[in-house]
Amino acid sequence: MNRVIAIAWNTFREAVRNKILYSLLFFAVLIILSALAIGNLTLHEEVRTIRDIGLFGIDLFGVIIAIFVGVNLLYKELDLKTVYTILPKPLHRWEFVFGKWLGMLLTLAVQISVMGIVLAAVLAAQGARFDLPTAKAVWLLFVNVMLVTSIAVFFSAFSSPFLSGFFALGCFVVGRSVPDIRALGEKLGPAANAVLNMLCDLIPNLHLFYPSGAIVGAEEVSVHRQFVGSDYILSATGYGVAYSFIVLLLAMLIFRKRDFV
Amino acid sequence: MSEIVLRADGLAKTFRLGFLRKRIEAVREATFDVQRGEIFGYLGPNGSGKTTTLKMLMGLVFPTRGRAEVLGRPVPNREAKRRLGYLPESPYFYEYLAPEEFLDLVGALCDVPRAIRRERAAKLIARVGLEQARGRPLRKFSKGMLQRIGIAQALMGDPELVVLDEPMTGLDPLGRKEIRDLMLELRREGRTVVYSTHILPDVEMTCDRVAMIFAGRIRSVGPLAELLTARLLSTEVCLSPGAGTLPPLPAGATTRQSPDGLLVDLPEGTDVDACLRAVLAGGCHVLSVTPRRESLEDLFLRQAAEKGAA
Ligand SMILES: Nc1ncnc2c1ncn2[C@@H]1O[C@H](COP(=O)(O)OP(=O)(O)O)[C@@H](O)[C@H]1O
Ligand SMILES: [Mg+2]
Repeated sequence: MNRVIAIAWNTFREAVRNKILYSLLFFAVLIILSALAIGNLTLHEEVRTIRDIGLFGIDLFGVIIAIFVGVNLLYKELDLKTVYTILPKPLHRWEFVFGKWLGMLLTLAVQISVMGIVLAAVLAAQGARFDLPTAKAVWLLFVNVMLVTSIAVFFSAFSSPFLSGFFALGCFVVGRSVPDIRALGEKLGPAANAVLNMLCDLIPNLHLFYPSGAIVGAEEVSVHRQFVGSDYILSATGYGVAYSFIVLLLAMLIFRKRDFV
Repeated sequence: MSEIVLRADGLAKTFRLGFLRKRIEAVREATFDVQRGEIFGYLGPNGSGKTTTLKMLMGLVFPTRGRAEVLGRPVPNREAKRRLGYLPESPYFYEYLAPEEFLDLVGALCDVPRAIRRERAAKLIARVGLEQARGRPLRKFSKGMLQRIGIAQALMGDPELVVLDEPMTGLDPLGRKEIRDLMLELRREGRTVVYSTHILPDVEMTCDRVAMIFAGRIRSVGPLAELLTARLLSTEVCLSPGAGTLPPLPAGATTRQSPDGLLVDLPEGTDVDACLRAVLAGGCHVLSVTPRRESLEDLFLRQAAEKGAA
């Protein structure tokens, strides 16, 4: 486990010293801050606007950062050949992959936390609280980026960074639209329905992590009124973790068989 | 019978390249053993398959055929890797780390306890001559400095067996001498050193045994002295004719004037004694007699030529 932690810590350190990640975080913070100004333009809807824009910013930049981190931090090891130095050390290949993933997760946790803190500060500036529904929403977004980053790691275990990023983004877009795609399938007829349903079964249902506006149970969910309960959070988190582990396992299997030339 | 610490047994690697799966036979047949405590040179021109062979031994590349063994265990084996240090070719390390951070990471991966890591890292940094570069990120290192920190990281796990891929490239003559001395020192400490190179003079100064690879096939393995002294190429006699007269020379002999005197090159198989007697009888002075044995370079060129003819 020490070896996995050493890899994870080094991965985190690399991310912390990466300028691109700082600029992404900077823009995310900018968007959340802009919510304050935009909120002031609305009449009596300030807090609602801030929450919507803030969560949107965390979601958008969280996913961009997750894809960047997942593709970049693994690919760089291969491209810059640092992997030649690391893998002949007494560690298993899977430990390397797992360590990289843990380091990415830590990076994402810190990034999401920073964005969350900025959102809390903006809310406080409007005299509102970073309440439980908002916290739950941010947590779901974190599980979301964990899953997206795992998918990015999976793709970059065997394809170029450009393709990996592209595939991971594709998975995100499709995964977020799973309910829409299933609905579309029903309209298109049985053949298309079967294909689209198969696609939806394969791709993670990322819509789970952005439930605002969806019907859960009998009620429409919203961060502003009735948000999802803790049982929902628990099962969505379980789904995200399980799915991440499966794709991570696949990435490890690919790594196990790979030639590093 | 000494212990074998590294074994390549009929190793071969064929790469498949591009859409058409074009075959590239990087290594066709590599068989050699490295014995404990020796410095083993792996020689070959650029592109002959040295790096690919070493990568198969390090478990980075899976062989198409053959077996690789490190410290008595089939590759890959974590227990064997713990006692092994490896420097990849033209190494590149985490550019955002300072040397001591990097060595600490490597130490952690080699299961070296934290307390020992710091001390060992400092010692190794001094040993490879990088003390003045401490605290500087590796991004700012020159190629030669990267090579040095690369050697330091290979030693971080206190390995019995050190495998270095082209450790001399990128170094100036002084740096090359330092690495040669370091390898001799490692051998004195009881470690086994294997290194690949295409720079021959370094090999003559350090290696106990060598393997030579040409176009993916190993041509000869053995102690350097055995591979070389097998052939006496010619004998060079330096004369000063003085007042005497030069007798007729044996067939095949060539002469040329040099600042020291007249150089006579007697081909292999000439009766050197008879020739010297004739020269002395003619009243000439013999200044020196030098047997010209095959140098590593001659052997290298000969084998490369044989390879070309085959
Ligand atoms: N990943 C690869 N794909 C295809 N060919 C390769 C690959 N790596 C090396 N080669 C080829 O294999 C041969 C041997 O390469 P290498 O082992 O690097 O030789 P050396 O280290 O002796 O210079 C070369 O012809 C090289 O072009
Ligand atoms: Mg090479």
